[in-house]
Amino acid sequence: MSHPLVDDLVASLGRRKASAQVVTAADAARAAARAMGDAGVARAVLADDPLVRDLKLHEALRREGIEALVWPTALSKREMLGLEGPEDSCGVTVPRTAVAERGTLVLEASPGHGRGIDVTNRHHVALLPAGRIVRTLGEALAQAFADGHPAPSAVSLVSGPSRSSDIEKISTLGAHGALSEHVVIIT
Amino acid sequence: MSTRRRRSSGGVAYPDAEGTLRERTVQALADDTLRGNLATAAASWGESRDAMRRDHGLDAMRERAREIRRRNIRDLPALLSEMQAKVREAGGTVVRAQDGAEATRYITGLARARGVTVVAKSKSMATEEIKLNESLTDAGIEVVETDLGEWILQLAGEHPSHIIAPAVHLNRGQVAALFREEAGTDDVPDDREGLVAHARVRLREKFAQAGMGVSGVNLGVASTGTVCIVENEGNARLVTSQPRIHVAVMGMERVVADWDEAAHILQVLPMAAIGQDAANYVNLITGPRREGEVDGPEEFHLVIVDGGRGALRGTEFEEALSCIRCGACLYSCPMWKSVGGQAYGSPYSGPIGAVITPLLEGPASPSSRDLPFMSSLCGSCGEACPVGIPLQNLLVRARARASSPATRRSAVAFRAWSRLWRRPATYRAWMAGWRLMLRARGKGGWVRRLPGPGAGWTQVRDMPSRWPPRP
Repeated sequence: MSHPLVDDLVASLGRRKASAQVVTAADAARAAARAMGDAGVARAVLADDPLVRDLKLHEALRREGIEALVWPTALSKREMLGLEGPEDSCGVTVPRTAVAERGTLVLEASPGHGRGIDVTNRHHVALLPAGRIVRTLGEALAQAFADGHPAPSAVSLVSGPSRSSDIEKISTLGAHGALSEHVVIIT
Repeated sequence: MSTRRRRSSGGVAYPDAEGTLRERTVQALADDTLRGNLATAAASWGESRDAMRRDHGLDAMRERAREIRRRNIRDLPALLSEMQAKVREAGGTVVRAQDGAEATRYITGLARARGVTVVAKSKSMATEEIKLNESLTDAGIEVVETDLGEWILQLAGEHPSHIIAPAVHLNRGQVAALFREEAGTDDVPDDREGLVAHARVRLREKFAQAGMGVSGVNLGVASTGTVCIVENEGNARLVTSQPRIHVAVMGMERVVADWDEAAHILQVLPMAAIGQDAANYVNLITGPRREGEVDGPEEFHLVIVDGGRGALRGTEFEEALSCIRCGACLYSCPMWKSVGGQAYGSPYSGPIGAVITPLLEGPASPSSRDLPFMSSLCGSCGEACPVGIPLQNLLVRARARASSPATRRSAVAFRAWSRLWRRPATYRAWMAGWRLMLRARGKGGWVRRLPGPGAGWTQVRDMPSRWPPRP
């Protein structure tokens, strides 16, 4: 089953040098774990989100031999920043929405969803229910900052892996944040 | 770390800029490496930006962006009050600073009071303007620029040359040499990926130590008290999430009313700045971390800097306050493309810098008085501006402001010239005199040297001795 917003998001993510795959809920955990396994990930830091629990991502990661830690972790700051411990870590996030025409993930900070999860780790995997995709940035921001609710302390718009063009104006990935971004779109 | 940056004297322009504007310009023109790097950068920007105009209708978005920003500036006092109230409601502190000195005093005092020894910064033109690094360094606090381009310049002891791409004038070999010196080892790779990976680890060490993060603000959203920080590298997210304290420094004009306006400007900004339809990271921050959250700063301070901006409202220069600091006018300017940003001697270079530096400094400032003349008035800046600032008109007005009464002698000369040319008879006599003189001096159809005030002109140009030139 194909949906125009899903197709547009996949195309936009491609332009942003992120990868994406469209799977059913039954396959999502295995697909996410496989993607991490292929990237050589040793440790995953998971947002504490009902979706992560429902998908039983921990079990899939265990089968791939990947250590799974749930936010908030007991890691020290140096470990969080990858200065100690395994270098190949992966942050697993659950975006609140995603913007189809820009390839943008909208991450909201909360007690279960640390604002550094996607950016401190070397890789970033996002689990995105297809129903959360909107067309424009305006729609996504209107949802995140709806009237009558206090604004979240931090909303991060993430559009592809970290990038710098500061050396000779040529785009190079993995400057400070994640070197790779993979979005598992769940239908 | 050795640095050429020196203490501030309170102005916007760099107090340590060497030589006069003319000397710096001539020096930059003679630097072939610099001009090559600038040409490459401007060309790649031009290509990507053209793609944005073609595929995303950037030109059509411009009119709305212009309207939004004009309205914001008109409503500025009310928007700032709302912004301030909302930030406080979210648990943050707001400080309104009249000038740079007041802002740096507050931030440096805060760092001292909290026992901060290392400050991690993300790229911010406002902190360049208020000379925050110098102030913190003087207080014995280590300041680390974490944007890759800014860090490279910090190691080189140089000032940024572009709003968006600060180190655009240095090449890979120059960068590798700086990294080797900083790390104290030759074990630094030469390739681009290797250099970026090296910087990532070195700077993460700093993030682990930093007690305070300082960022700029691209946009403030009044309706929720949110600051928007736009970036590609992810360093601004680390700056705003790892240290215990986050200080955001915002020029007072950078505020929009609501999220509808913010959504539009946040899309226009990366299109105009880097020719991309989204920046990789946009951090939208409302106050400090909330109860139960374990990362993010415990304290959030918003420092709103006037620095001469408020006084521009209601003047013929008000439109300059609409600027969203995208850098498009720099890349489009033939003058900037030839000499780069450092020649301007101000954090704000290019056409917008030539307009606002003297405005923020005051008309009497010798360091920036001549900046409005760094333009051929070709108008490409006004065409490139995504918020429709008529930069070429502002440059002309800024020139008028700088010319009187600073150079009264030239005013007398221009008046005399205008009297001569206004009458057909004296105009024709003038031209006939010139024709005779050129023919008398011409050799083989060309004049290679002119006497008196014309000498400077023929130093680098030849002139046909008659028009049209003989074949």
